[in-house]
Amino acid sequence: MVEPSLVLYGALYDRALGILDETLRETGARYALLIDRKGFVLAHKEALWAPKPPPLDSLATLVAGNAAATQALAKLLGEVRFQEVVHQGERMGLYVDEAGDHALLLLVFDENAPLGKVKLYGKRAAEALTQLAEEAIANPPKLNLDTQYREEAKALLDELFGN
Amino acid sequence: MSTINFANREINFKIVYYGPGLSGKTTNLKWIYGKIPEGRKGEMVSLATEDERTLFFDFLPLDLGEVKGFKTRFHLYTVPGQVFYNASRKLILRGVDGIVFVADSAPNRLRANAESMRNMRENLAEYGLKVEDIPVVLQVNKRDLPDALPVDMVQAVVDPEGRFPVFEAVATEGRGVFETLKEVSRLVLARVGSNA
Ligand SMILES: Nc1nc2c(ncn2[C@@H]2O[C@H](COP(=O)(O)OP(=O)(O)OP(=O)(O)O)[C@@H](O)[C@H]2O)c(=O)[nH]1
Ligand SMILES: [Mg+2]
Repeated sequence: MVEPSLVLYGALYDRALGILDETLRETGARYALLIDRKGFVLAHKEALWAPKPPPLDSLATLVAGNAAATQALAKLLGEVRFQEVVHQGERMGLYVDEAGDHALLLLVFDENAPLGKVKLYGKRAAEALTQLAEEAIANPPKLNLDTQYREEAKALLDELFGN
Repeated sequence: MSTINFANREINFKIVYYGPGLSGKTTNLKWIYGKIPEGRKGEMVSLATEDERTLFFDFLPLDLGEVKGFKTRFHLYTVPGQVFYNASRKLILRGVDGIVFVADSAPNRLRANAESMRNMRENLAEYGLKVEDIPVVLQVNKRDLPDALPVDMVQAVVDPEGRFPVFEAVATEGRGVFETLKEVSRLVLARVGSNA
């Protein structure tokens, strides 16, 4: 198929976690997520002190949808892309940046995290993750899922969706 | 193409409900949400207008469970069916693994069904995809309407070659809803490993 799947595993995955972790410390943000453009979470980290995050699936889907819409808007105006996006409320904020063509970086921060730092280190992390995503795309792992996977999955379909 | 997260040992599939405005796409997802037990589903997210028409998408994550050590998940989406929302509709198709085409049995929607299918082909083409590349299931919904058209007639305009599996449905009562979802899931899973 045309769009390559971004798969993180092993050393690359650990590096992604490392980058997210470091970014949390540098910015004081609560949560850092690497998301693919389809809205799936590839890797995520939470600050030790942070309260329980909202559902990550919903976060990732909405951020990916939003980013897709923003990119479409940029195209309409003849731009290749728009810069990073920041949403800020009274207490909470979001920082979203592109990590290459296939992934997005999301930082969720509160009022204690200085916006300047979030943007500075957010940008830096996005660049590092872009590099990483490109490596991952260039070296897709071999998937050893066979007919047994399909058979077992089918049994679960019966269980969840009924016979 | 499915998203595989080896580190977390997850495999994720994206299934999109497509079809003309008011055909019952959102109703399908609401029914599914209502029936799947807690713990096997996430929050349902609906981006809709005040009159409950889908504006961007509905989203529902489902957990199939663990298969050979891989957590297997389905992300269900609906598109906005109204013609003028095409820009958003196109975005939702990105990375799709399987499609449920929800057609309307009402006689005055026959043309809308055909146009929506044509529009889907065009939008897929923008991602370099053909309908033939992706598992598609046809759901002929609103079978409860007193003037519902014969299924053949709906199929004739949407899928004249009869390529897609067909399910009759009354989404408001849940009839055919899980049968449709199960079939598209089965087709999507059948491709795992063969081309991933
Ligand atoms: N009679 C009947 N009505 C249905 C059925 N399924 C859905 N409806 C009704 O049709 C209307 C539209 O349903 P939705 O599920 O919102 O339609 P949709 O396809 O999501 O529409 P858009 O979001 O505009 O694309 C609602 O009033 C539903 O209650 C059905 O099987 N029979
Ligand atoms: Mg809808």
